[in-house]
Amino acid sequence: MKPRRIMIAAVGLSVSLLAAACSGSTTSTSTSADNGSGTNAREGSSTDKASHKQGGSLTIANTQGQTWTCQFNPFNPAVNPVSLGFVYEPLVYVNLLQDQKETPMLASSYQWSADKTSIVFTMRQNVKWNDGQPFTADDVAYTFDTMKRVPATDLYSLWTGAGLRSVTAAGDKVTMTFDQAAGPYFFNFANQVGIVPKHIFSTGPAAAHPDTWDDRAPVGTGPYKVDPCSANNIQYVANPNYWQPGKPYLAKIQYPAYLDNGPANLDLGSGKAQWGSQFIPNIKALYLNKSKDNHTWSPPVTNVAIVPNLDPSHAATSKLPVRQAISLALDRQKIALIGEGGQQPVANQTGIVVPTFQKYYDQAAVAAAGYDKPNPDKAKSLMAGLGYTEANPLKLSIITITGYTDWDASLAVVKQQLKPIGIDLTVSDLAQQTFDDRLYNGNFDLAYYGQAGGPTPYYELRQMLYSKNSAPIGKPASFNYERYLNKDVDALFDKYPTADDAGQVDIIKQVGAAMMRDVPVIPTTESVNWFQYNTADIGGWPTESDPYAQPAAFNVPDVEQVLLHVYSKSAQN
Amino acid sequence: MPYLLRRLGFFLLTLWAALTLNFFIPRFMPGSPLQALRDRTHNKLSPAALEQMLTSYGFKPNENVLVQYVDYLKNMVTGQWGISIGATLGEPVTRIVRQALPWTLGLVGVTTVLAFLLGSLIGTVAGWRRGGRLDSLLPPAFVVTSALPYFWVGLLLILVFSVWTGGALPSDFNYDSGMQPAFTPAFVFSVASHALLPAATILITSIGGWILTMRNNMITTLAEDYVRMGRAKGLSDRRIMTAYAARNAMLPNLAGFAMSLGFVIAGAILVEYVFNYPGLGYLLYNAVQNTDYPLMQALFMLFTVAVLVAVLVCDIAIAILDPRSRERDRSGR
Amino acid sequence: MTALLVDSSTATGAPVRRRGGGLWAAVRGSRKAMVGLAIFLVFAVMALVPQLFTSVRDPNALQFEPGLGSSAEHLLGTTALGQDIFAQLVYGTRQSLVIALVAGFFATVLSVLVGVSAAYLGGVSDETLTMLTNVFLVLPTFPLIIILATYAGKGTLLVILIVLVVTGWSYGANQLRAQALSLRNRDFVESAKVRGERPSYVIFKEVLPTMTSLIVANFLGAALYSVLTAAGLQFLGLGDPNSISWGTMLYWAQSQQALQTGLPQWSLAPGLCVALLGVSFALLNYAFDEIGNPALRPVRSARKRRRLRARRTRAGGP
Repeated sequence: MKPRRIMIAAVGLSVSLLAAACSGSTTSTSTSADNGSGTNAREGSSTDKASHKQGGSLTIANTQGQTWTCQFNPFNPAVNPVSLGFVYEPLVYVNLLQDQKETPMLASSYQWSADKTSIVFTMRQNVKWNDGQPFTADDVAYTFDTMKRVPATDLYSLWTGAGLRSVTAAGDKVTMTFDQAAGPYFFNFANQVGIVPKHIFSTGPAAAHPDTWDDRAPVGTGPYKVDPCSANNIQYVANPNYWQPGKPYLAKIQYPAYLDNGPANLDLGSGKAQWGSQFIPNIKALYLNKSKDNHTWSPPVTNVAIVPNLDPSHAATSKLPVRQAISLALDRQKIALIGEGGQQPVANQTGIVVPTFQKYYDQAAVAAAGYDKPNPDKAKSLMAGLGYTEANPLKLSIITITGYTDWDASLAVVKQQLKPIGIDLTVSDLAQQTFDDRLYNGNFDLAYYGQAGGPTPYYELRQMLYSKNSAPIGKPASFNYERYLNKDVDALFDKYPTADDAGQVDIIKQVGAAMMRDVPVIPTTESVNWFQYNTADIGGWPTESDPYAQPAAFNVPDVEQVLLHVYSKSAQN
Repeated sequence: MPYLLRRLGFFLLTLWAALTLNFFIPRFMPGSPLQALRDRTHNKLSPAALEQMLTSYGFKPNENVLVQYVDYLKNMVTGQWGISIGATLGEPVTRIVRQALPWTLGLVGVTTVLAFLLGSLIGTVAGWRRGGRLDSLLPPAFVVTSALPYFWVGLLLILVFSVWTGGALPSDFNYDSGMQPAFTPAFVFSVASHALLPAATILITSIGGWILTMRNNMITTLAEDYVRMGRAKGLSDRRIMTAYAARNAMLPNLAGFAMSLGFVIAGAILVEYVFNYPGLGYLLYNAVQNTDYPLMQALFMLFTVAVLVAVLVCDIAIAILDPRSRERDRSGR
Repeated sequence: MTALLVDSSTATGAPVRRRGGGLWAAVRGSRKAMVGLAIFLVFAVMALVPQLFTSVRDPNALQFEPGLGSSAEHLLGTTALGQDIFAQLVYGTRQSLVIALVAGFFATVLSVLVGVSAAYLGGVSDETLTMLTNVFLVLPTFPLIIILATYAGKGTLLVILIVLVVTGWSYGANQLRAQALSLRNRDFVESAKVRGERPSYVIFKEVLPTMTSLIVANFLGAALYSVLTAAGLQFLGLGDPNSISWGTMLYWAQSQQALQTGLPQWSLAPGLCVALLGVSFALLNYAFDEIGNPALRPVRSARKRRRLRARRTRAGGP
């Protein structure tokens, strides 16, 4: 089927914390900063000295659904995935899979102010744009100022939601000031914004319309240049001016445009492409069994959940026992097996994605609450207590998006599992915009949906549960579609930005407990970054034991980290 | 002359009707460019940013509907088709269309004309040799092939010639990804091999109809007096078959050809979808999936213009070939 | 989808039957018609009593081992989600037949209304209706259908039926109008008018019955068009993915890459059924063409003719 429908991984992980400002300022925790430029001492970091010979090439198989437009403007969300990480770089890379481990890229170090309302980045020295011009702090300031001047380029609502007030460059330092403690937004402005060259973006159509400028010959500081791009294929060649000598190892990267998963999967199976990033049905037969060098590892990052309508106007779903019954009746293993081909892990009622965010997960509490395994008997008795049995069921409908066939399959399993406890579920497939309309405005009993996440569970949970992300029925809510309103949970989220590490873990655990107590949403499976890799000639892949970056080719800017690690085995001789 | 003017008038009227439909349908249904843009940006832009984006992309939702309509007509006709807001966000629609057009023209256009000509030829011979082996086998066979769904034939061909042969014939895309478009033998070969299965699909499913209608027309025509006259005059079989019978039997076929272009476009969309052939049909499917309003509108207009042009061309051809049509028309058809 | 049902008989005012009589005899005589009818009847039975063909009661329930091949228990194997393919096929017949018959019926009704009215009202009304018909005829309907179906927000059966009727009536209207026009001046119609009968009587009791074979041919054509277009729509994913129909099966098979994952029958079987149903309509339609225009009837070879004559005399005459 057409690609984006099955690829429901959280593309472009980020959070726009549009809603209320976080207030309060307490003692800060400044994350340890790297001093100096150049390499650091962490093992296996992408900024280590080059350890392999250069040469060789790699082909990516990531289904796009259409041919390339050959635009590379990092301010355009549709083409960002082929430009950020390949050609453009961020200030600091934050790895969501390793508890926010940081790798300095264009900024060699940074320093928060005591109350985290301002941050000073020190720029790396001797960095050049791929056209030979020197990279300076002015470029950074210009990038952020463009986002202020043309709001459509502010893809993470930094100037509006995050409270960014000013970005100034002085010498080799860039200072950003905020209205509020901006710790949680670091992931967005340091990791997800690709820095653009002032000397290119301040002239001509780029200056006039940075949001629609096509940027066909992108000038960036990153490891690759585009040469050439045609409708069917983008070829990246190693940037000879790249600031890390001896890197990247691979001389060429081929990124063909696949219109459908079918041919992409075929190429992956045959070894013609080595880096896969989509859902492969029946993956054993189609891919893994084709060669011993074919491997897969798809790390989970967010939840896919049943979103009930908590508003009193929906009598059934606003009752806690109904939601508890649903959560207890679900055999999530079966849903994952049949709906997602066994390639997505099961989710749990706390909403904390494991194993990625293991340290926030309280196994004991989950077991104590009875949510560690399915309990259809208890679900039955809960429903019977309200007068519903299999013979006399409660009729509920769940809306989902047409074309997401794996969600349809999952919901077919859910429907079957709810039947014996006394719920008659009707699945209603809607076109994307109709679905959005009903979801945002609260016009549903149940909805099936997955949010985007962030580097800790805070981002996804806050989106889902913070009351300011909600809205009355009939008005569009930004993220809190179930209309969960709980002052205590709100207070927990408010405390988070200024808490220390241990404090943050504790806050998340408490939010998880609220998830189990109030069952505001019912997570079913965990959304993953699809990843397949072939080791015949290419080494240096991220793996389960060494998850140095999110591995899918559509994860930006993580893709840069992968590109800086992979090497060709045959080129080493 | 008046005949041609009438047809031209009809052309313009239909085009206007299609454009108007195209304008009003989106406005009466759920969804809007604002929502589409919000989806594109993953719901992360602030409302002010979204508004600014709307303007950047040329939408003026707060203007009076009639003003919007006039603007829209003007833009459609002058080729200002706006910027895509679908998955190809930011790309000018004219560019997208220009890239896809030659592939559809090449694949679907060439194959359809080929099917028409070949089918008419075979139908002529079949109608001529009534009662022969050809004639008793053909009609049922082609009735069957003409009722087969396009996409099913495509899937069958993929299974037999691509999956079972382990990929001997490519089953998707228009040329090998690694190649650069250039007039080299390698590229031409790649294009040809990728076009083989989709072309075969279109040929198999559409040729049946032409053969049958041509055959039926031939049979009817052969019963006419002037054919008997030709035979009485002692003209050669071949001359009667071509210059007398076929030429007249062709006329309703030509009219039918124009009328069936609607089906051709339907087939084009399905074949391009099954074979992932990046032509206009595939673009339309994508545009609809991604609620890419500007691209959808441009494509719909293009399809309508294509059909209308074909109808006009066929009408002119009929007018040239058959003087009766001009007479007939004056009496109100 | 090249349902090119150009009926040359109407263009040249071919001989027309009085009333509807003799139709059944004519159908019985045509081999093509019988084959088409037979196929249709098989499907009709499948649609009415699916329980006769399979023991599965809920074909969409995920109750079996996924990805099984053909076996005695599962004639066509199971889908990648664990459903019996043959059972889905049997139960899916109903929706396809409903679409074919209902959409075909209403499209034909609309064609008759527009075509015959245009012929009878004449003048400006005729001009307008003809213009309307031609506009709809030339509009590329499949893109229009796709757009309409998407905008409707959900691909329910009703939406599909509506778009099919709205886009499928124009072809027939032109043909019917042409024939109605030629009939207008026939003797029996003239005599009815001279007798003083009301126009509605003339239309319903004299003209329409005479056009029966053409109307039936149109109905079959519209049914064919509906079946193929609906299947195409559902295949593209614009139908209701949770319904039970051939088109939906195709959609699921395609999204699970049935051809490549060793379950080709999941993709081909429903497509074959769509094709067969379409073929049955096409055969019946073709047969009606021959009924309307005897010149088109198959010429039996000399040998066959002799055999037939022999059979007939042996049986004591026709």
